[in-house]
Amino acid sequence: MTLATGFRRTGRAVLTVLALLCLLAIAVLVREVVKELKFLSSASSDNVHWTLSQAEVEFLEFRNAVNWARTAPETPLSSVIVEFDVFYSRTSTLANGSLYSSLREDPAFDAPLTEVRDRLNAMIPLIDGPRDELRANLDDLAAQADEMRVLVRKIATTGLQHFALESDELRTSVAVTLLRLAVLTGLLLLALAALLMHARRTAQQTEKRGKELAIAYARLNTILNTSLDAVVVTDTTGRIQNFNPAAERIFDCRLKDVRGKRVGDIIVPEHLRDAHEAGMARFAADGEHRVIGQGRVKLEAMRSNGETFPVELAIETAHAGDEQLMVAFLRDISHRLAAENELVQARDKALAGEQAKAEFLAMMTHEIRTPLNGILGNLSLMEDTKLSSDQSRYMRNMKISGELLMRHVDAVLDVARFESGADKAQEDVTHLGHLFQDIVDSQTSAAHAHGNALQWGWVGTPEEWVEVDSSRLQQILLNLVGNAIKFTREGRISIEAEVIEQGEPAKIEIRVSDTGSGIAEGDLARIFEDFQTVSHQVSDSVGGTGLGLGIVRRFVQAMDGVIGVESTLGEGSTFWLRIPVLPVERPVEDSGAGPESEAPSDLEILLVEDNDINMQLAYEVLVGMGHHVTEARNGQEAVDITAKRPFDLILMDIRMPVMDGLTATKMIREGDGPNWNAPIVAFSANVLPEAKDRFAAAGMSDFLGKPLQRTELAQIIVRFCAGRDRRVKLDGATPLLVEQKESPMEKLRNRYMSETSSLFEWLAGLPEDTHAIADRAHQIAGSAAAFGQPGVREALLLVEQAAEAGDREDLVVAISEAQAAWKAAPEPSLVG
Amino acid sequence: MYTLTERFTRVAALLLLLLGATSVAAGELEEPTGPVLLTISGDIENTNGDGTAAFDLDMLRALGATDVTTETIWTPGTITFTGVELKTLLDHVGATGSEIDATAINDYTVVIPVSDAVAEGPIVAYEMDGKLMSRRDKGPLWLIYPYSSNAEYRTEVIYSRSIWQLDRMAIR
Repeated sequence: MTLATGFRRTGRAVLTVLALLCLLAIAVLVREVVKELKFLSSASSDNVHWTLSQAEVEFLEFRNAVNWARTAPETPLSSVIVEFDVFYSRTSTLANGSLYSSLREDPAFDAPLTEVRDRLNAMIPLIDGPRDELRANLDDLAAQADEMRVLVRKIATTGLQHFALESDELRTSVAVTLLRLAVLTGLLLLALAALLMHARRTAQQTEKRGKELAIAYARLNTILNTSLDAVVVTDTTGRIQNFNPAAERIFDCRLKDVRGKRVGDIIVPEHLRDAHEAGMARFAADGEHRVIGQGRVKLEAMRSNGETFPVELAIETAHAGDEQLMVAFLRDISHRLAAENELVQARDKALAGEQAKAEFLAMMTHEIRTPLNGILGNLSLMEDTKLSSDQSRYMRNMKISGELLMRHVDAVLDVARFESGADKAQEDVTHLGHLFQDIVDSQTSAAHAHGNALQWGWVGTPEEWVEVDSSRLQQILLNLVGNAIKFTREGRISIEAEVIEQGEPAKIEIRVSDTGSGIAEGDLARIFEDFQTVSHQVSDSVGGTGLGLGIVRRFVQAMDGVIGVESTLGEGSTFWLRIPVLPVERPVEDSGAGPESEAPSDLEILLVEDNDINMQLAYEVLVGMGHHVTEARNGQEAVDITAKRPFDLILMDIRMPVMDGLTATKMIREGDGPNWNAPIVAFSANVLPEAKDRFAAAGMSDFLGKPLQRTELAQIIVRFCAGRDRRVKLDGATPLLVEQKESPMEKLRNRYMSETSSLFEWLAGLPEDTHAIADRAHQIAGSAAAFGQPGVREALLLVEQAAEAGDREDLVVAISEAQAAWKAAPEPSLVG
Repeated sequence: MYTLTERFTRVAALLLLLLGATSVAAGELEEPTGPVLLTISGDIENTNGDGTAAFDLDMLRALGATDVTTETIWTPGTITFTGVELKTLLDHVGATGSEIDATAINDYTVVIPVSDAVAEGPIVAYEMDGKLMSRRDKGPLWLIYPYSSNAEYRTEVIYSRSIWQLDRMAIR
């Protein structure tokens, strides 16, 4: 573009210079032609040819006159004299006239002329002398004239020749000049033609550009007119210059009504107007802009009826000639915002639904597991009692069903836990052989029950010590083996392990094969889905939630492994899984002793539990392990008891009346009692991960699920109490509780303690029901004396009286005195 | 062409002679006393015998002298000619024609339109640089145009009309 322009400019300049040069040359030539024409017209030449020939004529006249005079002697001689004078005059002209000066330079002309002049001059005395003498010399004159004739002839011819040449030169010169003029004129014409063409081309280009501009303008107008966004153009003072159809539609006003008006008054809502004016003033003052060129900004705008609505706004400045314009693009986003709000609400609802689901799940697991725990625990206890054979059978059936139910609940819980994403992979160093052996050991009895043999073994070189998420692997294998046992009768179940890829990590394939019923080909594809059960002749009696393999698949995938199955109906199935494991060195063991042997006994343990049955179960287990157990029925009791004496371990239920476990734990931790740093282990049926987090936040040391498992409990005890002596021994005091087995007395005493504690808790809340207060106070007061606490008895009787009297003020005083008496009272012990 | 002119002139002169008897003129001019230098014939109102007007030097001088200083193509340098204006001369003789046949002593004749006779125009010169002109110096009379002062007089036509050794004029 610029190059072309440059060429065009250069071309134009060259042409202009050329034309000027031509004009100049033509001017010069014209001047020359004019000069020549002037020269021709001024005709300084006279008719030289005639003059020269006239000289000859006049000479001949003179000669004739002389000859005539000789032949006629009587004639006067005047004609001779006249013709002499005429000829003489002619020679004078030739000798002196400026016209002949160039000619005279030619000696061929000048010499004869001079000689003729000399001869004429020589004749003058004779001519002017007496006539007689002249007449006498006429012959001599004639002779001389004869001689002069050649000279005169020569003068004439030389002169004619000279002027002919001169005239030729003149003609040539004129011709040359005219030729030059013609050439230059031609050149000028060419230059003019070139200029004309150039001008035409320029005109064409201009026209083309004009058309292009018109098209561009039309296009721009079309864009503006069809834009869905409002486009508002203003000058820098905010006067509206243009308002496209979309703007007219959105703001509900016509361009002709708003043109030239201040944009702030038309589309800016009143509450934003001050800010708008300030912005315009800033821009006018120093060109500062906060909105201009910042991309899309969300603001509010106003329609002609004063309604405000949200817009997305982008402002740019533009230059149209010298004028600076501001172009605002506005989009009505009220619909979009409404849609966004709806989406947000929908999302919030969905999230709330998820939350509710999680809460429901947590609740249900708790609510189901707690009573189930109770049922199973009591069944276990009942087994130890004397039963009839029928009763024993019923008991066993009940136990099987209960355990199955518990497994189902656990399965659902596993899925919930996994889906919540909190159940992260935890890799630890594991001996695979031990892991397989444990599974075989734990499942052997179940396998035998169906007449199945269960075994495991390595194929190829074993890789014993590896880093793997052993807990999940265990769960996977238990599930697979459990299934195999379930669907196999009088058969064989084997676990095979094989290293199929060496390296770090290595890859291990584990196959669980059975000789059971197998799976129909049509079912193979869906068995890893959730809630998929295969109707089966053998397993009808067992049934299931259909979650087992779904969980297995999730776990395998979470371990970056794959799982698959091959099966032939009626011959058996092989489930295989390939997982990466990191081979490690055999770890150095602390000691050869197992945790069980290390577990201390004879510990002081506080058991906080509101449910009587659970309490009793746990109590039995702990006592069975050789520990001393103190019971508390709620958090407040726990707080009170822990303020008085130290414990080696506190097992704390979470959901309890009066004060929940979390609050109690916080209070124990924050208080300055002897148990502020004792291990407090949550003891709850709520085993969801987020619940555990809450427990830890409240200051709890660990978590123990319900129902209480001996092994888990033992592990906890080892973790927190290994090497710890009995605190009671440190006290050096006589044990307050009976030794290993709690006596019925002890139970009574504990019951008294807990009932009294709960009474005081209840009283602390100043309940409205005065009758209930009276009843309960009376009941405990009756026991207090028996447990060697007469002060408490007196105080509670006062409470009873105040409650029955309905005197609130007295009641409050009595209760606080009773609490003081309870705190001041000695340890309860059965009198006698 | 010159022969034609000459013939024509002769015819004209003959006619004038025939007419001269009848027109015993409106005005009489004085008679020349010296040698006659110029004879004007033809359509003239004032004559001094034979229907012609003859002039000697004194008569020409008496008509008033006019100087013309000019260069000519026939002479070297600038020359001041003295003579009587052609217009004055024609007025004096009461010329009524439109053309003049001017003839030299050797019968060289040119045709001069009467319109050439204007003030500050041609003169019938009798002096060159204050001296009377001899016949050998293109005298005694020479029709001189002011060539130097007017470019229109530097044309071949004018040069051809600049007749020297003038002695007759016929008006028609």
